[in-house]
Amino acid sequence: MSQKLRIALDHRNPEEMEILQLRLQGKGYQVIPLNLLKNAIGLLYLDPPDLVIVDLSTEIAILQTFIQDLKRESYFTPVPLIGLIPEVIADRMEWEKFPLDDFIRLPIVYAELFNRIALSLERMKRVFDNNPLTRLPGNTSIQRAIQLALGQEVAVCYLDINDFKPYNDVYGFARGDEVINMVARIISNAVKPYGEKCFAGHIGGDDFVFITPLDESEKICQKIIDHFNMIVSDLFGEEEKSKRFYIAKNRKGEIEKIPLLGLAIAVIPMTNPVMNHYGKVAESAASLKKLAKRSNGSRYVVERRSS
Amino acid sequence: MGNKREEIHRAISNVSNLPTLPGVISKLNSLVENDRSSIDQMSHVISSDQTLSARVLKLVNSPFYGFPGRVSTVSHALILLGVNVVKGLTLSASIFELMEKQAVGLWEHSLGTAVIARFIAKELGHPDLDSVSTAALLHDIGRVVLKVMFVEDYQKIQTLISARDATMLEVEQEVLNTDHAEIGSWLARAWNLPEKLIEPIAFHHSVERAKEQKTVASIVHLSDVLVKGYGFGFSGDEFVSSIQQAAWEHLSLTDEKVEKIVSALEMELMDARSFSFEVQAG
Repeated sequence: MSQKLRIALDHRNPEEMEILQLRLQGKGYQVIPLNLLKNAIGLLYLDPPDLVIVDLSTEIAILQTFIQDLKRESYFTPVPLIGLIPEVIADRMEWEKFPLDDFIRLPIVYAELFNRIALSLERMKRVFDNNPLTRLPGNTSIQRAIQLALGQEVAVCYLDINDFKPYNDVYGFARGDEVINMVARIISNAVKPYGEKCFAGHIGGDDFVFITPLDESEKICQKIIDHFNMIVSDLFGEEEKSKRFYIAKNRKGEIEKIPLLGLAIAVIPMTNPVMNHYGKVAESAASLKKLAKRSNGSRYVVERRSS
Repeated sequence: MGNKREEIHRAISNVSNLPTLPGVISKLNSLVENDRSSIDQMSHVISSDQTLSARVLKLVNSPFYGFPGRVSTVSHALILLGVNVVKGLTLSASIFELMEKQAVGLWEHSLGTAVIARFIAKELGHPDLDSVSTAALLHDIGRVVLKVMFVEDYQKIQTLISARDATMLEVEQEVLNTDHAEIGSWLARAWNLPEKLIEPIAFHHSVERAKEQKTVASIVHLSDVLVKGYGFGFSGDEFVSSIQQAAWEHLSLTDEKVEKIVSALEMELMDARSFSFEVQAG
């Protein structure tokens, strides 16, 4: 049974809201009314929709915060956000303050609205740079974020998972994907409190990049490692956890003891003058990560070389 | 008769929200306001409340977040969901309008069972204390569902229990053709919670029926009985059942072991009691 697409709807006018709701339901969408703007974000977290429609005809300030909060949460960036905008303000919208994905002028022309909805959903699928699994920004965004970070008081950190491949082989790719997803959540939750300068991206596979304030970088890496080590207990059975390894065949078909999963993080301060372009950062990360991988378990290593 | 059972089973898929005590919400809110509060502090407060814990676990195990049936403890859920989600959760958490005696009683019973289950699991060298105490915290979640969604039946059950001096399970079976343990397990399954929580909820009154999670089910059963016997909180009736043979055997209990646990009850429940006072004070 295919599920109905779910549209969260906020409308300032109860009568028009009712009509809009009926029209959307008539088109086969399920409508979630967002009546209380104060709780709307909370409700969306709890019951995530496929698309959000907001009415911008009144209470612009509250809506601005709501829209920005929504678009800052990586989970919601692929959820299209359509604004209903009255004729009078449509000509002078400050789009940088209202990061909508599309808009419709009020009064609504329904044929257009339905087309915009369908198009928004399709477009998100097509052009989205975010990794479809973890929903973190992908390579285009990562490259841009690193270029912006050059010379700043921040650290660019590259992370990968130790012994991920055998885990994927033994436990299956669905479980492997779960591990990747968990790491993504741990990283993005760890950097989020540090504000705008921070960033979490997913290169692909078990490779991630995140950016932290320089003076907090070691603390954040340690936190990520601690949290990952806690989560590892959800990924293995009691036996593996107590032995601290599991048995698998390696590529040559030999039986081998594989250690439980761990993280390797290379931390590269962007204040280092050697780090003057994206390629240099990636190159340094690659050599540093080998160092981080030399020991068992999780570890982070900070780049201190200046040439 | 059978219809009632089906009606409840059907209704379970529409339960999205269960009420939380106002005191718990206000404690959590003050933590959320403070940017420096840690995952540990937050999970401590959330872990005191069976319905809030169940909601956090429902969220992290929902297909949207991507870990169905995997996460069984509140602290792991918070690591994966992040503090923002908890903020959303508290903002939209519905609360009991009045701090009814019954609601506090059931909340205390669940909290006490979680505390004792953790202690017993530790005594027995169980490797996953957090999951055991979560299972114990949630064991009576079916009663919350009844209380909120089937108010009339719930009241009828309470009246019959006191009128006839019968046990809760007997009366539930008679009125609903099912019981709170089964209802709780339906909810846990509908919310994609892990098997290690579902089985102990389902079988905390019938340990012999547990398959994979017999140990946890036995520990939850034992804690449930002891906490009731000790008189901490109120789970629904005054009747204290005996410890089931299957649990004795499965946990290799001896009189000495049980005695040791019983003598530790007071100490273990002290924190829970003072926390309960705090919450009731608002």
